[in-house]
Amino acid sequence: MKFKAIRLLTKTTFIYLIFISVAFFTTAIFVTRSTNNLLYEDTEVYFKHRERRLVSYIKDRDKDLDKVNGLVRVEGNTSILADNYPQYNDTIMELNQMDGPMLHRGKTILVDTSKGRFLYTMYKNINDFDKFHSVVLHTIVNTFVVLALMLTLFSIFLSGFLFRPFHQLLGLMSRYKIGDNIKLPKVKTSTSEFIKMQMLVQNMICRIEGDYKKLKEYTENMAHEMQTPLAIIRSKTEVFMADEELMNQYASAVKVIYDESTHLSNLGSTLNLLTKIENGEYNRVEDIKTYSIIQKHIETVKEMFDMKHIQLELDFDENHTLSLDPLLFDVMLKNLFKNALRYTPAKHHVRISTSNGNLSISNYGEPLSFDSSKIFNRFIRSQNDTTSLGLGLALVKKICDLNHLNITYDFADHHHTFTITPEES
Amino acid sequence: MKLLIVEDNIELSSDLVNFFTGNGFLVEVAYDLKTAQQKIFDYSYDLVILDLGLPDGSGLNLLREAKANKMDMGFLIVTARNAIEDKVTGLELGADDYITKPFHKAELNARVRSILRRKNADGNNLLELGNISINLMSFEVLVNDEPIELTRKEFDLLVYFMYNKNRVLTKESIVEHLWGDHADQSDSFDFIYNHIKNLRKKLQKVDSQGQILSVYGMGYKFTEKK
Repeated sequence: MKFKAIRLLTKTTFIYLIFISVAFFTTAIFVTRSTNNLLYEDTEVYFKHRERRLVSYIKDRDKDLDKVNGLVRVEGNTSILADNYPQYNDTIMELNQMDGPMLHRGKTILVDTSKGRFLYTMYKNINDFDKFHSVVLHTIVNTFVVLALMLTLFSIFLSGFLFRPFHQLLGLMSRYKIGDNIKLPKVKTSTSEFIKMQMLVQNMICRIEGDYKKLKEYTENMAHEMQTPLAIIRSKTEVFMADEELMNQYASAVKVIYDESTHLSNLGSTLNLLTKIENGEYNRVEDIKTYSIIQKHIETVKEMFDMKHIQLELDFDENHTLSLDPLLFDVMLKNLFKNALRYTPAKHHVRISTSNGNLSISNYGEPLSFDSSKIFNRFIRSQNDTTSLGLGLALVKKICDLNHLNITYDFADHHHTFTITPEES
Repeated sequence: MKLLIVEDNIELSSDLVNFFTGNGFLVEVAYDLKTAQQKIFDYSYDLVILDLGLPDGSGLNLLREAKANKMDMGFLIVTARNAIEDKVTGLELGADDYITKPFHKAELNARVRSILRRKNADGNNLLELGNISINLMSFEVLVNDEPIELTRKEFDLLVYFMYNKNRVLTKESIVEHLWGDHADQSDSFDFIYNHIKNLRKKLQKVDSQGQILSVYGMGYKFTEKK
């Protein structure tokens, strides 16, 4: 399940609003109950007082109850009624013309006398209580609305002002490139968390730069130190090769040493180049007009294609450009051409095109002997291929990745096609 | 011709000393930057073969000093492969050429001779073997004083053979010499056979005293017919 990313402050404000609404809702329930209880207790005291007075009044006027105002005789089976009383009801009535209609609470009680059962209803004005109740509820709701508004406004203010150093730090971090060896400009802030974060980021960059420098030194040293022993091996094998008598006996062994030292040297230098590219050491990005550079490459390698009787089909847009370090473009082209030359059977063709904003190289060939999704992996090569390093297409992919270029591989109709397209910004 | 080889690896430097001594050069060696500095100030050399990774500093410092003091000796830089920055810096500082390790001695020999020839522009631009004569300035090849038509690649190939006569040249070495950085484009070096075949045919046709011999499984050797 994928969650939509929300800003921290929006999230905390939202959670805070939920907590506040729960708190206010609980408070409203509590206040409502309290006022209701207060109302009940107050009216009950009044009704009890009226009831006592009624009972003593009935006793005094025992002989003439029908004339007592409000007493209603209960006819029929009165035993059933006893459980239903007392009864309460709130009603709006006008007891006093001066005050107009007001909310009253009525209590109807069952009064037993020697002359039978009577119902008596008493009323108490609860208008003020009701008003008090609604005023309290309104106050709670209004307070909640004001608080929510204030909180939202405050959150907007906070994200714009208090979080400015945080966003500045994020901006600096996103612009940081490994190998720049920069000291981040100091972001002004009095917030201790941000000061700490700034220190940690700076320390982290120092560590990254240190590790990067060590790795760079290591690869450079490896590249250099490995080539010298290989130069010695090659030099010694050349001494053997100059000795005809020795060569008559050990030609194949000497050739193996010679070939393998060459392979090792190529492997070391290509891996070194790959590491340097990964480390972003070739960052002289320019808008390159590809036409003349591709033409120059073709001039150099055309002879090799001709010797295999491979026909080159060219379709160039002279305005086609790509943005990357020219050196990397050179490496990219060299490896794509090498791939096409190596895997195109004799007397077939290779198509090179820069139309529609894409650079594509397509060659006739048999299907791959491995999963095509692995074609850009290191050390992937065809089953019958023993001479390839298996690093060429990995190099091309790495160059594309680091220069915002998409490279795709497609096999259709006996044609392997590599297409390079600038990433959509 | 006097060479100074600046290389800290004793095995490699002694191999180079033997190789160039055998080719008629007067050779001295320096194993570190300090010794090399002393030598170039105390003696005169026609060419310095300079390894950049020296134990007491970069070989580029020696080049800087030599150029600052207007010394006219040639400099051939030896770098680890793909150290493009070193190559560019070296050439900008005034080096005459560069070669990457591991190198073919035949290629090194060809480059050394080419630099020396360029440095001594007033000197001899002719390369001769038996009845073959090559003018490196005009790209003219004469056999028995008769010009023969060669393609650019065939011309370069013949010069390479002449520089390295009587030495086995591997196919790799020939391809690297002719195609430089594009040498590894093809999975097979057999395609140079066409160039060899054509050059051989052209030389035989005019009774050249130079001949290209095949060394089975290894490459080719250019010798003078006896």
